Amino acid sequence: MTIRLTRLMLVALALAACGDSPRTDPLVATQISMVGGNEQVGRVGSVLADPLAVSVTDAADNPVPDVTVTWSVIAGGGSVSASSITDGGGIATTPFTLGPAVGAQRVEAQVPGLLNSPVVFTATAAEEPQGSELTVVGGGNNVAERFSSDLWVHGNYAYTGTWGLRQAEGDRLNVWSLNAGGSPNLIGSVTIPGVGTVSDVQVSEDGQLLVLSGERGPQGGIFFYGLSNPAAPSFLGSVLVGEAGVHTVTLSTINGRRYAFAARNPGPPGDPADDPALLIYDVTDPEAPALVHTELFPERDYGIHDTYVRDGIAFAFAWDDPGLVIYDVGNGIGGGSPAAPAEMSRLVTSANGICCGPSVHNGWWFHNPVTGERRYLFVGQEGAATIGSQSSGDIHVVDVSDLTNPTEVAFFHLNGAGTHNFWMDEERQILYAAYYNGGVIALDVSGTLSGNLADRLISQVKPGGEGNTYTWGVQLANGFLYAIDMLSGFWQLTTE
Amino acid sequence: MISSQLPVILSVANGLRRTAFLAFLLPSLAQAQSSPWIRLGAHGVLLYAYADPVPRGRTLGEVRLVQPTLMAHAGAFSDRLRFVGTLNLEGQTIPNGALTPGAWGEGFIDRRHPHTYAHELMLTAEHRLSAPLGGIRTVLSVGKGFVPFGTDDPMVRPAARYPVNHHLAQILERAVASAKVGAGPVAIEVGLFNGDEPERAGQWPNVRRFGDSWSGRVTVLPQESLELQASFADVHSPEHRLGSGTDQHKWSVSARWDGPLGGSQVYGLAEWARTSEAEGTFVFHSLLAEGAWTTARSRLHYRFERTERPEEERTLSPFRSVRPHFEDSIHGITRWTIHTAGYGFALQGAKKGVRGMPFVELSYGRMAQVGGGVFDIERFYGRTSFWSLSAGLRVDLGMTMHRMGRYGVDHDH
Repeated sequence: MTIRLTRLMLVALALAACGDSPRTDPLVATQISMVGGNEQVGRVGSVLADPLAVSVTDAADNPVPDVTVTWSVIAGGGSVSASSITDGGGIATTPFTLGPAVGAQRVEAQVPGLLNSPVVFTATAAEEPQGSELTVVGGGNNVAERFSSDLWVHGNYAYTGTWGLRQAEGDRLNVWSLNAGGSPNLIGSVTIPGVGTVSDVQVSEDGQLLVLSGERGPQGGIFFYGLSNPAAPSFLGSVLVGEAGVHTVTLSTINGRRYAFAARNPGPPGDPADDPALLIYDVTDPEAPALVHTELFPERDYGIHDTYVRDGIAFAFAWDDPGLVIYDVGNGIGGGSPAAPAEMSRLVTSANGICCGPSVHNGWWFHNPVTGERRYLFVGQEGAATIGSQSSGDIHVVDVSDLTNPTEVAFFHLNGAGTHNFWMDEERQILYAAYYNGGVIALDVSGTLSGNLADRLISQVKPGGEGNTYTWGVQLANGFLYAIDMLSGFWQLTTE
Repeated sequence: MISSQLPVILSVANGLRRTAFLAFLLPSLAQAQSSPWIRLGAHGVLLYAYADPVPRGRTLGEVRLVQPTLMAHAGAFSDRLRFVGTLNLEGQTIPNGALTPGAWGEGFIDRRHPHTYAHELMLTAEHRLSAPLGGIRTVLSVGKGFVPFGTDDPMVRPAARYPVNHHLAQILERAVASAKVGAGPVAIEVGLFNGDEPERAGQWPNVRRFGDSWSGRVTVLPQESLELQASFADVHSPEHRLGSGTDQHKWSVSARWDGPLGGSQVYGLAEWARTSEAEGTFVFHSLLAEGAWTTARSRLHYRFERTERPEEERTLSPFRSVRPHFEDSIHGITRWTIHTAGYGFALQGAKKGVRGMPFVELSYGRMAQVGGGVFDIERFYGRTSFWSLSAGLRVDLGMTMHRMGRYGVDHDH
């Protein structure tokens, strides 16, 4: 034993001799600098997403540990730690809880005698959202014979799709008028032959064109209707893709022409066009839609589920592989066009432990009028579900300030339910999300978003009540939030 | 069809040459003495099926030729090398499936799907270890066929009606390589296979997915006529051919009797099966007990089954479900509790090797929803119970049907 111990000591000594000589000179801190947390935005009284952080180094830029940094609020009335000590990397941090004053707030970090001390951080405090409680005020239990699907509200009319088989097949587009109080009344319907689900509905910004997608039948595709009489949509034309059908369709005007971005489902076994694809049509003349591009997703996963198009950027939401794909389709920064989309980047968001993968399903690119940022893309994850009673899937927040390098930065999880389609009140920085059996939620998305957004939940409502709620989508219009529920139909909510 | 499949067969054969399969065989081949042999057979059932109700509350009756099967079994090198080939022509005779309330799988629902043309193409090599391990037998099987999991194919069991639990209790028509080690009354099998189930009769397994799934089965034979088995399978994305669907974990336990009892020939099977899918989001259970009592030329059979099945999104045809899936969702789970009783009478063979058995079979069942979901039994079927009648004629020529689901000399019968 003694011999073995002696050998070990010799080996240890030899190794020590062979290694770098340990630093014997004491490190002397000479400067302090800001390394993170500056210029964040948050609600008054909230904790900023990222802590404030400084670095303390010596003259040779070596990090200096064990230096005490003093923190203090110098404007706005918030709170920080009184002091913190630099770690092995020379970093000291503090959380910053914003004070009650709206506008700029400032914190300083100082170590007396160091170059750059004090370091001053700035943050912006925004108003607490006013009147954000979701309340049901009208509609509901008004489509008994069919399950409902998507919705679109334009002016004093609304259009909702139908889904699957209840007492009758989901081959209808329901037409609603909204009375002076915004309450919906069913005034008619349009039957789309050869489909079993109307899976997506949209009205053009000028209110002249309605497009819907159809699936679950031999005549799947996209269908165009004129709204010269908004109470009675008139058929203009269609593009049929066969039994595969189209899951979603999105209208966007790019360089003066109107396009429809259609997500074709994977086809049935043996179908010659069985690859899922993003089909882009020029529908400037909806009676003669022209296919200008087919973006195939061959042999990949479940295909493409949805597309969000804004400012000439198209976000394709294509499940686990390739997940989120960002194209320039006319913005100019990537040289793409609707006829030749230029892929800029792709990202597979986190699964967050939810079965059965990232399931990238839908999204909304947030143009924040308060900060002027176009930083965040909200991505919906559609996890495993028993339709009508159970669902799963989170909201993922992706930083797309660099569209060529999207980065996931935050998420929101609601226990016992999964998210579906979104709408945003961008002025008030509130995301409204349909949450299937969880109903509808309002989420505060102001300021810097990071990590778990659980404390951002403002309000939740189950329009049809427990057991009668499975909400597909929401839309803000005319000062109300409209919700379409697969089980309980078309609802009018307030957000006051 | 066959010609288009030939390159695949040749490819598999070439692959085998490069594997240890023949190396495994060589010691046995050197000891082989007896002559090669081949047996041929054919089987089919002319079936009238009637069910009340079928989807949308209607009734339906139809005549179909089901289970049209050609079989070729061969052996060589003192049976150390065996081939089992089963050609199933249901893709031609029931391309839209066979009316079977409760049945589901492979894109069919309430109609049993047609099997693939190449139902089995299995090559099996058996080797007995020399002393002092002389009691140990080893078997390697490769080809397309049954995975070592669960119980026998319903086609070789007494009832003409397929059980609801077919996709919970058997895994078939896969590219499979399995190894079995047996000692005395105990055998242990493990198998590698492709997880994807067929989407149509002419489709081969996705060979690129070979090995993404596995199974294991332990079988004990406490006495000659009694067989006990327990098995587990980890199946990757069975319902999405490209491999992006949800995974299944499957368990099966069964006891099977096939032999004389009280002066008659008696067959009995009791099985429990469980499939957990999508990381436990969906769980399906099955309990099944069936038996047949044969004396002289009469055969009585009975089956009780209580099985849960997924209610998948259907196409505009109420008998078909959407394939491929493009979301990980179902519409609910239903439990099917079914009693089936039947009688068959063996005809005197007009010619040696030709056997016929007219039969009649009645089923009564109840459906119940398990948990939530949009699927509503009463709305879809009009009520929560059903009955069905099956009547027809079984015809067999040549060799009798073998136990589909097990390979090796000790499972000839």
